Amino acid sequence: MLVYTMRRLVGAIPVLVLASILTFVMVDISGDPLLELRTATPPPPEAVIEQEAERLYLDRSMPERYWLWVTGIGGEGNIGLLQGEFGPSTQGQQYEIGPEIAERLWTTLRLVGIAMLLALGLAIIAGAVSAMRQYSKLDYTLTFVGFLCLAMPTFWLAGIVQASGVEINQLIGENLFKTIGDGRYGAEGAPPWDQFVNAFAHMALPTLVLMLTSFASWSRYQRTSMLEVLNSDYVRLARAKGLRDKVVIRRHALRTALIPLTTVFALGVAGIIDGTILTETVFQWRGLGDFFITAVENNDSYALMGWLLLSGFMVILANLIADLLYGVLDPRIRYE
Amino acid sequence: MINSLPSAWQAVSIAGGSVYVVQMLSGVLPYTGQWNPEGEYEYNMDVLAEEPELVNDDPDEGPFEWKFTFDEDAVWSDGTPMSGEDLRATWMMSASPDEGYCEGCDSRGTMSADKIEEIETDGQTATIRLKEGLADPEWESVFDAHSVAGGFLPAHLAEENGWDIDDPAQLGEYYEWLHSTMPEWSGGPYQIVEGDLNTEVIKEPNPEWWGDEPGLDRIRMPFNDDEGTFYNAFVNDEIDGANPADYNEDVFTQLEGVDNANMGIDEGSTWEHLSFNLEVEALQDVELRRAIFTAIDRDDIASRNYEAGYPEYELKNNHIFGNDSEYFVDHYEDETQGTGDIDAATEILEDAGYEIEGDQLTLDGEEVGPFSLRSTDSSVRNTSVQLIQQKLAEIGITANIDMTDDLGTMTAEADYDIVQFGWSGSPWFATNPEQFWHSESGSNFGGYANDEVDELTEAVTNASSLDEAADKANQAMEVLVPEAYVMPLMADPNYFFADERLENVHDNLNSSYRATYNIGEWTLADQ
Amino acid sequence: MSNGTPTTAPGRTAQRSAADRTQLQTIVRRFVRHRPAMISLFVLIVIAAFAFIGPFFWMWDHRVSSEILSNQPPDSTHPLGTSSAGHDVLGQLMRGAQQTLKVALTVSLCATAFGSLWGATAGYYGGRTDAMMMRIVDVFLIVPPLVAVAALAGNTKGGTTWSTIAIIIALFSWAQIARVVRGVVLSLREQEFIEAAKASGASAPWIILRHLLPNAAGPIIVAATLLVAIAILMEAGLSFLQFGIQLPDISLGQLIGEARTAVSTRPWTFYPPGVLLVLICLTINFIGDGLRDALDPKQTMVRR
Repeated sequence: MLVYTMRRLVGAIPVLVLASILTFVMVDISGDPLLELRTATPPPPEAVIEQEAERLYLDRSMPERYWLWVTGIGGEGNIGLLQGEFGPSTQGQQYEIGPEIAERLWTTLRLVGIAMLLALGLAIIAGAVSAMRQYSKLDYTLTFVGFLCLAMPTFWLAGIVQASGVEINQLIGENLFKTIGDGRYGAEGAPPWDQFVNAFAHMALPTLVLMLTSFASWSRYQRTSMLEVLNSDYVRLARAKGLRDKVVIRRHALRTALIPLTTVFALGVAGIIDGTILTETVFQWRGLGDFFITAVENNDSYALMGWLLLSGFMVILANLIADLLYGVLDPRIRYE
Repeated sequence: MINSLPSAWQAVSIAGGSVYVVQMLSGVLPYTGQWNPEGEYEYNMDVLAEEPELVNDDPDEGPFEWKFTFDEDAVWSDGTPMSGEDLRATWMMSASPDEGYCEGCDSRGTMSADKIEEIETDGQTATIRLKEGLADPEWESVFDAHSVAGGFLPAHLAEENGWDIDDPAQLGEYYEWLHSTMPEWSGGPYQIVEGDLNTEVIKEPNPEWWGDEPGLDRIRMPFNDDEGTFYNAFVNDEIDGANPADYNEDVFTQLEGVDNANMGIDEGSTWEHLSFNLEVEALQDVELRRAIFTAIDRDDIASRNYEAGYPEYELKNNHIFGNDSEYFVDHYEDETQGTGDIDAATEILEDAGYEIEGDQLTLDGEEVGPFSLRSTDSSVRNTSVQLIQQKLAEIGITANIDMTDDLGTMTAEADYDIVQFGWSGSPWFATNPEQFWHSESGSNFGGYANDEVDELTEAVTNASSLDEAADKANQAMEVLVPEAYVMPLMADPNYFFADERLENVHDNLNSSYRATYNIGEWTLADQ
Repeated sequence: MSNGTPTTAPGRTAQRSAADRTQLQTIVRRFVRHRPAMISLFVLIVIAAFAFIGPFFWMWDHRVSSEILSNQPPDSTHPLGTSSAGHDVLGQLMRGAQQTLKVALTVSLCATAFGSLWGATAGYYGGRTDAMMMRIVDVFLIVPPLVAVAALAGNTKGGTTWSTIAIIIALFSWAQIARVVRGVVLSLREQEFIEAAKASGASAPWIILRHLLPNAAGPIIVAATLLVAIAILMEAGLSFLQFGIQLPDISLGQLIGEARTAVSTRPWTFYPPGVLLVLICLTINFIGDGLRDALDPKQTMVRR
């Protein structure tokens, strides 16, 4: 298994390289960040623009810049992935890409962590119940709710959740939910309970949105695989042997049916970085989604490359974990 | 609440050069004066001992020269008195890198700083001398609230950190430090006690503040760039007010319906205009340009955009001066341009030898157009370009709308035939005409060239008094308007809202500080 | 090796490929019995008719007109009111639904066609070819579509048309399909009928097109259906972030994004596009569900 893991990780390197080249080229053709300066009133002098171009290494050709970004050879010491540097940002000298990504990763993880766990729990229960009562009213209701969540554009759903949060606040006459920000300075130094209330107030609504959008498709997967298992020969055998339904489901069906979901979950978590873009915008969280949007808007190629490395790495890692877990959960699969 | 993210801790640099940085620094940065909401210029007499004195205003008799003297009580939050050195350091950091004062400084606006030859300091006095032969009609503005720094920066902190401001490399390091470090220092009624550039800053009164005591104990300034959230956040008591950068009819009318909201709306400092790309051969004909502008109905555009929230909107008939400015002259009074008069437009075209065949305009049998009509994606501009497209179709011209999210690239490469975008100004105007219309200017994107206008705009920049500058600017517009190169549409309205429990909070559309311009005077209503 | 997607049991489908016709009949019968799917199909057809045929019978199109007053609530001349710029909202809605459906269907067709071929080829050859091809799939799973939109939107002459948006979304959707199909093909190719085809000297393209893809049709059709819904939502998300279709053309996503702040001020612009979009996605999901049940022989057999 170790050999397999190593092989997969080494295999991931060309993928990342290819993806980074593709992204780098696309960012490059999407517009020259410096030209923004020219519409400023009053106009900045030519010397400033030149200096900025030099700072961003824009005086070199695109392939040269890519090479520089990877190796840092010939740079000013602030660029070169192999030297642990992410390069200068178009958003100014004070904007350091590495630390910025690290901080925002923490913000995003905080937001999605709980949402994912809740969504997973909900998906397993809803999927299992749906499968056991296939074509019942309950199944139809759960299916409908799930599909409704899948059908709504995230920013629309987020807007509705936000407005409902405000409604509830006014109804109970208390400021239970907050609609913007992560409230990081809201309760510093306050007693733990206040800190918890503050964190909860800010997290509740965006977490709900993320949970609803993720749970729906997972519960469909769970339902499908649960149905497959319930209809399989060995479950029927177990039933025939006279085992009670509950035991059959808990001990045999559910466990087996979780295997595909594990994979889907791992992949879903990797994709979640992109998934938070819209939620973070509506709730004004400064996480990786927001980082990405700002970088795109500013034609900030090095920042985007940093983001890409992180998200690409997460995708590859999640894929690997999913495959490995598959092997752990399903003894028929062996990796050589 | 601040409408977008500040990108640096100071406003001098290119990255930091936004109104959001300036608003974040409200109550922290000292400045020598500012325009008040009524359009009157006020010196900051907390900081200054006396009104600045113009020593010599005739460049022929010697260097153009003036003097600032600081009040004896004026101190930074660590107790160090404000001095002429502060102005000198700010000037050197604001100047172009070519001047050689500061290595690696990337000031976003150097025009007025680069005119300065030297600043002589003597304790709390600073005497500013311009280079030989130069004059500055807006000499008071160099360190005021509208300047590139949004005020002036301390010099003594450089020394404290071991940098010598007279060494360009070390000043460069100080400059970078200022932009990348949250200011714990202050020269105003408030100081920042906590915060970051992503979420919010928190301000508390500056204990060393020598002026009138500020009215609030703690001010939170969250950064929020999604206008769709304003209403909910306000109703939910998460914000007490804001001065959004863009007008949004829905948000405005929604907030108007809230009981505890104090609202205000007025003409802002950004104005929309249309201009042609004169590199395009067909558009080099002034008659065609006149006809196109004539066919466009400015009032229809403005009313569909603003009627609902701001029925008092006015069209902009002067490129430089607002309708309430003392220098305002109506340059479109006898013009057909902007009226939407299709008959008049057709007449102009037919007189010039064009023919409208079916729904296609032709000149000597050749089709005219289609032209690309470009702009950036905002609801105002979306509405506007669609209306223009429809009007131009009526005189047989096809306009293909092509929105971009990259205004800089589009304008700099003149990648358009007709473009709508906005310029923003402040009551300081003297550098604008040269920037907009001088044939050598990098911001004269459409390539307009007229010797007379060149001369006049240069004269504006170098006038020695505001009256003279304004006069020359109006003369330039008189030449410009009949040439139909650029047509102002209207000034975008800006609105602000604040909770009723706050007093003395109102918008100042003459300043980048907007409603925060008098942050020291904000109080709670029951006090 | 493994693949991350639960699939139906194509092996069994394959064994029955001899009885194609009766199988198809069974599938149709099963689908018709799936009530939500049938209702959805009907609703979707109505919406499509509204979007594609409606404009021929309605006097206003999606463009502004100076004859239309700005911001009018619904009345007899404008059943869904007007926008602030002077659009007839009903006219916009028809056009918006049309463009959205065009985008979504194009994405689904292109991405499915390309993705299935790619995935089937990779799965059929296996080994090094498979590894290489799937690494390329990985690349497309990693590169964010938004970057591509930003890159292309500013650089396509004449602006971002619906087809540009469709191509970009398709470019970043085929990889998922390819993964699914490859997984199915991996298990198919070990089976006797493929061995038999190989032994009889059939060429690789022939085997892939004639044997592998038809037998993987179930998962492919389901994935393609769901992709329609995903593409619609993706287009809406891009519009929200201002990377959408170019004016004066309009899509449902654009309409929703524009009217996002209008819920209490101009509700007639807020609700219709949103409800329509949700309806489209909802019906498509149900149809996908019905197809899945109909195509999977195991699931509908037993009713407990």
